[in-house]
Amino acid sequence: MFGYITPDKPELKIWEFEVFRGYYCGVCRAMAKKAGHRGRFVLTYDCAFLALLMDSLEDGPVSGKQRRCLFHPLKKRYIVDSNSAVEYASDINILLSYYNLKDKWQDERNLLGPAGMAVLKKGYGKVKKKYPELAAEIERELSRLHELERRKCDSIDEASEPFARMMQTVFQQARASERIGKVLGWIGYNLGKWIYILDAYDDIEDNIKNGSYNPLVVQYRYESSEGVNSFRERIKEKAEFILIYSLSELEKAFSLLDIRKNKSILDNIIYRGLLVRTRNVLQMGADCHEKSV
Amino acid sequence: MKNPYEVLGLKEGASVEEIKKAYRELVKKYHPDRYRDNPLSDLAEEKLREINEAYDYLMKNMNNNQQKQQQQQQYQYQRQHQGQSTGSGYYGGYSANSDYVYQIKMLIQNGNFIQAQRMLDAMPVRDATWNYLQGLLFLKRGWYERANAHLRRAVEMDPSNMEYRDALSRVNTQYNAYRYNPNFYGAGYRQGPDMCQICGTLWCADSICECLGGDLISCC
Repeated sequence: MFGYITPDKPELKIWEFEVFRGYYCGVCRAMAKKAGHRGRFVLTYDCAFLALLMDSLEDGPVSGKQRRCLFHPLKKRYIVDSNSAVEYASDINILLSYYNLKDKWQDERNLLGPAGMAVLKKGYGKVKKKYPELAAEIERELSRLHELERRKCDSIDEASEPFARMMQTVFQQARASERIGKVLGWIGYNLGKWIYILDAYDDIEDNIKNGSYNPLVVQYRYESSEGVNSFRERIKEKAEFILIYSLSELEKAFSLLDIRKNKSILDNIIYRGLLVRTRNVLQMGADCHEKSV
Repeated sequence: MKNPYEVLGLKEGASVEEIKKAYRELVKKYHPDRYRDNPLSDLAEEKLREINEAYDYLMKNMNNNQQKQQQQQQYQYQRQHQGQSTGSGYYGGYSANSDYVYQIKMLIQNGNFIQAQRMLDAMPVRDATWNYLQGLLFLKRGWYERANAHLRRAVEMDPSNMEYRDALSRVNTQYNAYRYNPNFYGAGYRQGPDMCQICGTLWCADSICECLGGDLISCC
């Protein structure tokens, strides 16, 4: 999870923005309860989206309050009350962040890894106990991903499969009903694919510099003589096809959901936000991660 | 049955025109063609059935002359649609239509990817048909890069085959439909002229006016 999933902010109404932020803050509060205040630092937009989407399938209005919080003590802001969707999203956030930090340590020997893991350890233990099968499934997919990275897999489809499958599981498990689970799963799968490939495109320059694995660099055979920028330009159209086609499949699945509330916010994300993000990454490459709201 | 107005996304007591408009939009949205290569096609079918029922119900309860005509149009959708679900409408293949190929098509359609892949691997020649089937399989699995490559290859190898062309053009249509979706494209703050264009236009207009002895902006 990398925080790519955001609305197209200028196009939101002010109340819509506040509600979206309310979900973000709601997930943050739920995480603080499980993992302590220091555990909040791994919060991502992607999990805020998960909470928003899941809660929007439930009947009844959004429930929330104007509250103060540790990070923004000066002004009260609207924060969504804890509910099953927010809880689930915060659990997933803790779980995935823990694995992400573990990767950082294993791949790059980044010291953030063990430091973060120490902070999240308690929360992670709780979540793992709560969903043993889900955690096992995620670990299986992540080890597949490592295997593919280790043998420098040269197919972007194959390399993005484990991450996509992992997200499929995460979204599918969110609802008990098989019918909705299937639709949510397909949303998750395509989101996962999109995130993985977008991130790969975003990291082309870094990966080339320090010689680490990048599926796009391997599949489209980067030559050191051509330079990073012209390589990015060369594969732009190819990457764009996969990214946007994944989103178009996601949109189809989304159309089948029975959305009970927040429809305008979700529409903004699905029909605009994801496209804007795709375009920004493809055009500018790095440095377009938004800061938190 | 769900509230028919709700199914069509309308308020209670909507007019006949509104109902028709909503119905047309929704049929487009959930049309079987749009979900053909998608693993959720059965759910789209359900949704369309619901929409048809709701529309039917509302139209029955509206006394108007156009009703008959409307219903006929609707049954056409349903008919097409039933044809699709039994599989006869799908791959009325005109290609190498051996039993073997047909079996693979059926496996792909039913989401049995492992078996389908096994049968594909066992095919002796990698011809247009093989590429086409492999493309369909990848498309349904979510391996879009390879799907696209195989479908293109199929069309290149056998340019006269309409079935292969259709599959490839469906992919492109879907891609463009989302990419240029009306919510994103041609709407909103991004599409307006920027400051440079506005100033440039004004300056041009002013120059033209001055050439003809008038003046648009007096200070320059």
